[in-house]
Amino acid sequence: MRLIARYARQRATDFEIITVWDQKTEIEQLSLQQPSIKTLSKTHPAALWFERKMHDDFGIIIEDAFDNRPLVQQERFPDKIHPMLKSFQQSELEEAPFKPYKYETIRGDGVFEVSVGPIHAGIIEPGHFHFSQAGEDILHQEVRHFYKYRGIEKMLEGKSLSQAKSIISRISGNESIAYQLAWRDIQLQASGNELAQNSQKYHAMLLEMERIAHHLTDLGFIPNDAGFGAALAFCSKLAEDTRRQLKRLCGHRFGFDAVDFEAHTLDLEGFDSFLDLLEKEIAFFESWILGIPSLLDRFDTTGILKHYQALKYDVVGVMARASGVATDRRDTPFYQEHGFSIETQEGGDVSARFKLRINEVKQSIALIRKLKVSQVDKITLSDTKDGDYCAYAESSIGELFMSIKLKNGLINRFYVRDPSFINWQALHLMMPGNIIADFPLINKSCDLSYAGNDL
Amino acid sequence: MIRFWNKRIKTGILTENTELDQELKAIRKEIKSLINKRFAGSLAIRMVDSGSCNACEAECNALSNPYYNLDRLGIYFVASPRHADVMLLSGVMTFNMTPHVLNAYKQTPEPKWVIALGDCPLAQAPFSPGFAIKAPADQYLPVTHHIPGCPPEPLAIIRGLLDFLKKL
Ligand code: SF4
Repeated sequence: MRLIARYARQRATDFEIITVWDQKTEIEQLSLQQPSIKTLSKTHPAALWFERKMHDDFGIIIEDAFDNRPLVQQERFPDKIHPMLKSFQQSELEEAPFKPYKYETIRGDGVFEVSVGPIHAGIIEPGHFHFSQAGEDILHQEVRHFYKYRGIEKMLEGKSLSQAKSIISRISGNESIAYQLAWRDIQLQASGNELAQNSQKYHAMLLEMERIAHHLTDLGFIPNDAGFGAALAFCSKLAEDTRRQLKRLCGHRFGFDAVDFEAHTLDLEGFDSFLDLLEKEIAFFESWILGIPSLLDRFDTTGILKHYQALKYDVVGVMARASGVATDRRDTPFYQEHGFSIETQEGGDVSARFKLRINEVKQSIALIRKLKVSQVDKITLSDTKDGDYCAYAESSIGELFMSIKLKNGLINRFYVRDPSFINWQALHLMMPGNIIADFPLINKSCDLSYAGNDL
Repeated sequence: MIRFWNKRIKTGILTENTELDQELKAIRKEIKSLINKRFAGSLAIRMVDSGSCNACEAECNALSNPYYNLDRLGIYFVASPRHADVMLLSGVMTFNMTPHVLNAYKQTPEPKWVIALGDCPLAQAPFSPGFAIKAPADQYLPVTHHIPGCPPEPLAIIRGLLDFLKKL
């Protein structure tokens, strides 16, 4: 079974620990006084961050944990604070004295450590990477994040679904549409409404536009990180074209707040020729880049995530598919009717992730052609009913899981698992045997979100 | 490579908004002595993300695409705060990130300026205030200029930077 998420929820008299698998959902009740659970990380290593987070958020003890370090709460975070408890209502935190974090390291003659971040050299998000090195060779890497921890889960409590939307839209800029689609599905479940076919198509179209823009950016940056800047110039132009088209379609270059239930008439002037041009350019790009041996020399066999490792770490999205794991939330009758089939690659290396992105862009273009609508109807929502709801979406990074509990019409618990939260935990598997200079290349080929991970 | 150069020649130059060049020329003249003294003809920016959604960063990256080609205006993004004239700050100043942001500011040599990018640093964009957010950033840093938007589009960023130069 594949582990999707594991999170806690506080109720009036107990805690619920919810473990979501691909085939079932398990719920365990714990007392409020002595909450403790057993770890799943011995069989599912990716359970580790979920459990460390649960401890930081609620103070739940993981009895047989082999890693008790805080995850979200960093060096200056005050002691004994568990912000997700209902009793926590502070609006500010006092900085506590600095408590050093003990990094995972390898020791030995001549082995040294390299610390990178949180602020990096490029225009990218903050996060920390800690390497144990034998000369140029990476022995081990620890990923440490949550610098961007904005407390989104707590922030959304007490808001209605419609009030929450613009915040959910901005959890992770590159995945905004995917987040909004998960929100949309929860809203529809809660109000018991059906989506009109044309708005379902319109939203799906926006999601593919978002995927194209994000993939194109990566397709430029991956060769750029191997020292080939011309690819970035080429793809960033196409990505810009895509963002401009997205703005024409929905009024915003990233589609913030675009998923709604209103009526729309779409501005499709020039849209078909944009798709035709993009298709031509991506075909040129593929034969051009894949015909440069010195570049492929950097991509091939770099940063391999083996098939069994992807399964063991419950990896999702681009990273999983590039390692031969066929998982994609779009694999539904609706998408299949429009010609969707899961793209995969076998190699698990930078090359595989690069080629997968090219193929996914092509597939998204084909999908958009079939999904295209010019008119979207309004639907009027009924009042929401209280309950537990969850939804999935396939963002440009991978499977997104969102769960919302509504009480008295307001959000009582908001939980979202960005695909990056799972995938970051598998990043270190790609490092041994590579040189540290290849790290940016490997990292970019996965292009995970920091904001969505940190919340 | 031959194919690439063929494509390159056929594509030509895509850079738009050349009117900004004229504007910049005018500004350059206006503040020539200042920019020469302080920036030696070019402005070095260090972008620092204090807890953004990453769209503001994406728009800054877009500034280098062939349409905008920011470098032509003599404005560069640099890898270290120690090389920077300006710290371009995005995000809501999270509790976890604030010490690192302040450190980056400390590392920037004088004279230095802080520009707030997007609605996050000063107004938290749509985010509600909370324990993990320390915005507004001007409580901790002397913010000279603000480029509004969520995110500000690339052209708005360029205009914002030019406005900042005029302000000096
Ligand atoms: S201002 Fe808007 S786009 Fe920029 S980081 Fe904040 S939420 Fe994202």
